Amino acid sequence: MSKKLTKVIALALALVMVFALAACGGNTTTPTQTETPKTDAPANSDTPKTDTTAESETPAAPVTYTYQDSVSTMATNWNPHTYQTADDSYPADFLRVGLYSFIYNDELHPLEGKDPYTGYVIVPEMAADMPVDVTEQVKAEHPEFGIPESATAGYAYTIDLNPLATWEDGTPINADTYVYSMKKLLDPALLNYRAADYYAQGLSIAGAENYANQGKLEYGAIGVTTTEYLANGGAVEDLYVDAYDFWNADASYLDEAGNALPQYVSVLDETVYGANVDDAFSGKQLYDEYLGAGAPYEAYSSDELYTVTGQYATGLDYDSTVGLYKSGEYQITIVFAKSLAGFNLLYNLGSNWIVKEDLYEANLSESEGVWSSTYNTSVETTSSYGPYKMTVYQADKFMKFEKNENWYGWTDGKHVYVDPEDGETYQMYQTDIIECEVVPEAETNKLMFLKGELMGYGLQAEDFATYRNSDYVYFTPDETIFFLILNGYKDAIEGREKADDFDTATRDLQMLLNLNFRKAIAVTYDKELFASTVSPARSGGYAIIGNAYVYDPETGAMYRDTDQAKQALCDFYSVDLAAFNGDLDAAVASITGYDPETAKTLFGEAFTEGLEAGYITDADADGKCDQSIVIEYSLSADSDFMTKTIDYLNEKMNEVTAGTPFEGKVSFAKSAPYGNDWSNKLKAGLADTALAGWSGSRMDPFSLTDLYVNPSYQYDAGWFDATKVDLTLSVEGEEVTMNLRQWSDALNGATVTAPNGKDYCFGDGIADVETRLTILAALEGKVLGTYDYIPMLQNASAALLSKQVFYVVEDWNPIMGRGGITYMKYNYDDAAWAEYVASQGGTLTY
Amino acid sequence: MGKYVAQRIALMLFTLLIITLICFVLVRMLPPAELPLNDPHTAVIEARREAQGYNKPYLVQFGIFLRNIFTKFDWGLSDKLYFGQNVADIFLQKLPATVFTNLYSIILSIPIGIGLGIWAALKKNTWVDYFISTVTMVVISVPSFVFAFIIQYVLSYKLGWFPFLMKAGTDWLSWDMFVSMLPAVMSLSFGVIAGFTRTTRAELTEVLTSEFMLLARTKGLTKAQATIRHALKNCAVVIVPAIFGEFIGIMSGSLVIEKIFAIPGVGNLYLNAINARDYNIFMLDSCFYTAVGLAAGIVVDISYGFIDPRIRMGSKK
Repeated sequence: MSKKLTKVIALALALVMVFALAACGGNTTTPTQTETPKTDAPANSDTPKTDTTAESETPAAPVTYTYQDSVSTMATNWNPHTYQTADDSYPADFLRVGLYSFIYNDELHPLEGKDPYTGYVIVPEMAADMPVDVTEQVKAEHPEFGIPESATAGYAYTIDLNPLATWEDGTPINADTYVYSMKKLLDPALLNYRAADYYAQGLSIAGAENYANQGKLEYGAIGVTTTEYLANGGAVEDLYVDAYDFWNADASYLDEAGNALPQYVSVLDETVYGANVDDAFSGKQLYDEYLGAGAPYEAYSSDELYTVTGQYATGLDYDSTVGLYKSGEYQITIVFAKSLAGFNLLYNLGSNWIVKEDLYEANLSESEGVWSSTYNTSVETTSSYGPYKMTVYQADKFMKFEKNENWYGWTDGKHVYVDPEDGETYQMYQTDIIECEVVPEAETNKLMFLKGELMGYGLQAEDFATYRNSDYVYFTPDETIFFLILNGYKDAIEGREKADDFDTATRDLQMLLNLNFRKAIAVTYDKELFASTVSPARSGGYAIIGNAYVYDPETGAMYRDTDQAKQALCDFYSVDLAAFNGDLDAAVASITGYDPETAKTLFGEAFTEGLEAGYITDADADGKCDQSIVIEYSLSADSDFMTKTIDYLNEKMNEVTAGTPFEGKVSFAKSAPYGNDWSNKLKAGLADTALAGWSGSRMDPFSLTDLYVNPSYQYDAGWFDATKVDLTLSVEGEEVTMNLRQWSDALNGATVTAPNGKDYCFGDGIADVETRLTILAALEGKVLGTYDYIPMLQNASAALLSKQVFYVVEDWNPIMGRGGITYMKYNYDDAAWAEYVASQGGTLTY
Repeated sequence: MGKYVAQRIALMLFTLLIITLICFVLVRMLPPAELPLNDPHTAVIEARREAQGYNKPYLVQFGIFLRNIFTKFDWGLSDKLYFGQNVADIFLQKLPATVFTNLYSIILSIPIGIGLGIWAALKKNTWVDYFISTVTMVVISVPSFVFAFIIQYVLSYKLGWFPFLMKAGTDWLSWDMFVSMLPAVMSLSFGVIAGFTRTTRAELTEVLTSEFMLLARTKGLTKAQATIRHALKNCAVVIVPAIFGEFIGIMSGSLVIEKIFAIPGVGNLYLNAINARDYNIFMLDSCFYTAVGLAAGIVVDISYGFIDPRIRMGSKK
């Protein structure tokens, strides 16, 4: 019996394993692989090729150039209507092209005043020609699109489409494709994530917002204080508070019945939300205690209280609502709700919204009233109209792109460039195959790179000592400046000092309110040393607007290179221009932001002022502060970076305060991890500092000013009111005084009435660029002068590039980068590269 | 016996339901993924959440969740990681990678682990025993992801014997795929081998000193005969259930290993779903791991009855 049982068990186990193997091994082919095309060079046989080892030694062998890429997270949905993340947009560069595209200026595409490869040219891509302004004509023929009577240009354009453009299966792409795709993109039932890109941002198609939002209520801020609103006859029952913005709440705040918090809550609504997250409130409470007439935060009511201003109409018809229609077999007309012209028009049309109708329809599904699409989630649901097509896709693992033989660019003779080195003409896109694999760990990425299996490796902090000076390392600047925000919220600080557990005999926070104390902190730190210590890819930060912002997209001119921006820095850091013979560049280059002697002096002055103000004491008259000042760093989550940052801040603070009344008395300490609440703690003055930053549109540094003067964004809104700080500037020979908020609004296109009674607007295309730069630099100087933001780091990244490839131009350009896959050139084809790696012992050195 | 099994299965289903309810409510109580303020796209996401019922009371949501599973086997759509895609399809696509990795690990671990255990027991209190026991303790103490990095560095980078990551594709039974899985399999196996070694050694050492073993030897059996026929059979009562237990252990250990070796399996999917707060994927993965764990518990319990005739399942006497 025992033997039989043993046999039964053994048999059962064997069967289980066999069934498991059989069940899982049904498909033994490569995943979702379509018919793989040949990987020969594109049809243009006249195209010169690069001189590679393989070609010269084995000319008869087929030559293939494969770009081996890696990502930490693979795209899962590259549908142009629904994708959400940068990871998801990865395939778009290969599968899609815009109506217009950017290429380097070269001998074939000269740019006035620019040497080859120092600028870029915008050329028609999926369009056949540049857009033609038909504002007057459309205004007359289509009044439904609401072009203003006064408008004569910039509102409507016809765009001739490239008749050679097809999907990868050869299906033509014509005006119907564009109109169908826009109709689907804006379809109110589909709730497409990307719909807002076409009405809520730079590009705003007439009627798109109304069509996409049919039936929804519209809310508008009351725009005045509660007192003024009521005085004007407004009714309290009509008011709603934006709880998401004002209370920083979200749908996770639930009422007693488990219903989620809506964004707008009536100020009479007594329903309590947020008990589940220990942050309960009601709409009525927010109004009574914060935003109502005479309440402490009434000043914010103009932006936080709303009324229902209307409801989007329902039953709208696309053709009579949305300003994008077919005006020829290969021509569309696009009508804008806000005028758009020049660079911004072409820039905004650099992305594309088209989808392949049959595939799109086949992949739409509806469940319980919610529509979803699986379009562009696999090889089968993807059709390319770009230079490459997807041939393999395995979710979270691997994807492969090969040349799309039906792309017009291989044969139209336009996708060629003249190499700046050898003067020869080359076809763009030398790469035949792009393979992209998920490599989750940076260390694995590095090892694979050193084995020649990947084209690039983003340097980690620990790699800089080894690779900082490598010939293959490339530094790429980023928009963001990280600054230390310094708490200056008087009420909050005094409130914290009154807490039972705060012993004012031994501790103090009020010194943070002293300007000299804040100035001293600002010059305590060597920004470059800080960067090299905590984040070597980055560099020291000295301003609040980073060095990657372009103020003139037509030429690519950078804001930080302007005299106005340089002067603002010199003024802030008190650089004597005369000492540099008026040379602004030399003066700016001398700025380190680090001046320990001045810091010591300032700490001494702050000590005296602190004693006079009663912030601190010196009971034994030893010239030393009796209290310790512990500056709480508002931590989102702890990390090695945070530890290094705090350690550095403390180390240098101790060095600089040595011999001053604050010796050993000032320190930084991590808070508990606040998660996403870290910024709220700062804004409320409940924490004292954090390293934070903003990034904005790379082409529009002017819009950044709003972040520092608008309470909706300001970190220092609790203690810095930009409407109470005046700035006087000489504009076109006239002295104009306005507050910072007014200057910012005027700079960004609003018409503002100054105290002198005149209206001013310095928006793009209205004021000359020099005036705009002057205003921007002045605002930057004013914000720096608050010492609420102490610039510390200029964001950047560094990466190694494989020896297999090289960039056609090494200088980084904010629009073109270094040319990307379009201009990537190869030192070795695949076979030659394998030989080279083997000849190096299988491991490469950089 | 049949009644006992039925009872255990019924209890398992009830437990699964309770755990599912707890997971469902807890995960929905987490704040949804943050949406940037003043971003025009936020309104669309809010509208989709509303339409998908995320703002309804939890029990209502749970009712809808169960109804869809029982009536349509519909686990819902991913609304974050695989936007709009059916989570059951995604899960099934990823299941083979996890199953094969774990199966290979078990297949590799059982003979080696038991073999080393037997050797150590037979060589008790010799240098062989000390060496195996020491190494076993060290290996058990080190988490599998540490082995993963060591294996990647030594075997893949320095020696170039294996690829760094699992091969792409679904040819699960191909030689190339097997080879590419080996670094991950080895990373998972070290701990399991050590576990089997320790268990086998301990059990066998005890059995070998039993009186019936002395009787077997006095009957004229050789040491090998006695060990194989009598000692090992008695050890099986402990070792065989341990195999099922280890399978569950490996499944949980493979969450991290899948990430390191880029194995597109359900473990990696689970971690990503938690990080992204993709509710439906999280629920399916949670139910899967819970069901596997509960089922393994039943199998272990029932296996005692088969392995050891002295154990009677469900007997009232």
